[in-house]
Amino acid sequence: MIITSGAALGAVIGTIGLAAFGIFCGLLYKGFDRKIAAHMQSRTGPPVIQPFLDVSKFMIKDTVQPERALAWLYNAAPIISLASVITVLLYLPFGGLTFTPVLSGYGDLILVVYLLILPALAMVAGGFASSSPFATVGAQRRMITMMSYEFPLAVVAIAIAWKLNQLYPGGSVFGLAFIYSHPLWGQIGPSGIIGMLLLLFAIVVVTPGQLATVPFDICEASPEIAEGLTAEYSGRNFALFYLADAAKMVAIGTLTIALFFPYDISPLIGIGGIPGSFIDFLFFLVKLFLVVTLMVTLPRVAMARLKVSQVPSIYWSATTAIAIVGLILLMIPN
Amino acid sequence: MVSLPFWNPIICIIALVILIAVTCLFRSRGQKKYKEGTAQTQIFLSGEEPPAVEQIHIKSHNIYWGFFQILKRYYDPSVRAHTGIINDYIIWFIALVALTTVILFIASLT
Repeated sequence: MIITSGAALGAVIGTIGLAAFGIFCGLLYKGFDRKIAAHMQSRTGPPVIQPFLDVSKFMIKDTVQPERALAWLYNAAPIISLASVITVLLYLPFGGLTFTPVLSGYGDLILVVYLLILPALAMVAGGFASSSPFATVGAQRRMITMMSYEFPLAVVAIAIAWKLNQLYPGGSVFGLAFIYSHPLWGQIGPSGIIGMLLLLFAIVVVTPGQLATVPFDICEASPEIAEGLTAEYSGRNFALFYLADAAKMVAIGTLTIALFFPYDISPLIGIGGIPGSFIDFLFFLVKLFLVVTLMVTLPRVAMARLKVSQVPSIYWSATTAIAIVGLILLMIPN
Repeated sequence: MVSLPFWNPIICIIALVILIAVTCLFRSRGQKKYKEGTAQTQIFLSGEEPPAVEQIHIKSHNIYWGFFQILKRYYDPSVRAHTGIINDYIIWFIALVALTTVILFIASLT
């Protein structure tokens, strides 16, 4: 494979630009999430820019390293966590169909599903390395959650790729750009639509587990284990985890949009060119806002934290069963 | 025709390395100092005295506690079956060989 220096420079600039914008969006949506959740609970809540203020505050606070911590791993974990989340963003069609992923053609849906494990693994490693009993318990719980939600998530990914392969034999059905440009909803019968709705439900349940938010926030569980994994993290290290969390919310939201809502608005209103791309980009941000609200904010406000033993049970039995039924319904020919 | 998944590990690693470099650059802008050798560096344990290092053991059974809990109906008989007595394992082996032979015999008839 030959990569020209111009293409390489473009990829580096694209990578850094997307990293900055992905983090910006993640912090902004975190702000919306907190504001909406507060209003749902009849509170005023913090300003939307609060996450930005939080990060700037974390950066000037002492970065304490516990005496017994395994220093190199303790410090490397937040760096790897943030870098790996942004790597995921490079493979995703962030911004709509006209914005080709930076690494389009170099990785697919299966890679994205597995790359999404990396930030959580880094957090687990950091938790164990910090030598805190609270963090150790949190790391154990995070591992259980990870192993639980991977199976239903894999079923969702495979179901959509399988259906695309049936409709477009020979197409690059695992490629995110291909998936985004070939929406399924209009090409499947009633049983397929029910199947897609079930798969959407499965990913809605998986997302709070991926982000470790309520009701699947057993690894943090402030009243029980004092934030668990991040109990010993502070200052700039904690800021990196915070940013990784924000960027991961954007990555999972973008993945959900690519799989289930891959529609642009410019063809509908008949605007092309650069203005059309700009409108599609704004439309994408609106979709991302709605997806984050549905998958993160609503469950966080409406539900209570589950018990440790309930998490694998919910993912392995109910969610996996729903995803498999969705897969079977999607397999039925129109 | 079935389309296969694809990825380029070299590109993925290069991207990851660039992003790690950018992240390190951003991290270097933050506060580096803290008060070494003070109470600040003690781990937080709700006011309790942290246990000695040699007393902290993490067993795999602890890590997979949630799984053991929900799969109790599978694990309990499995654990009971592992008695540690060699005679029991040989009985299991003979029984499985007999079962496999029967299955292969039936399969050869069809």
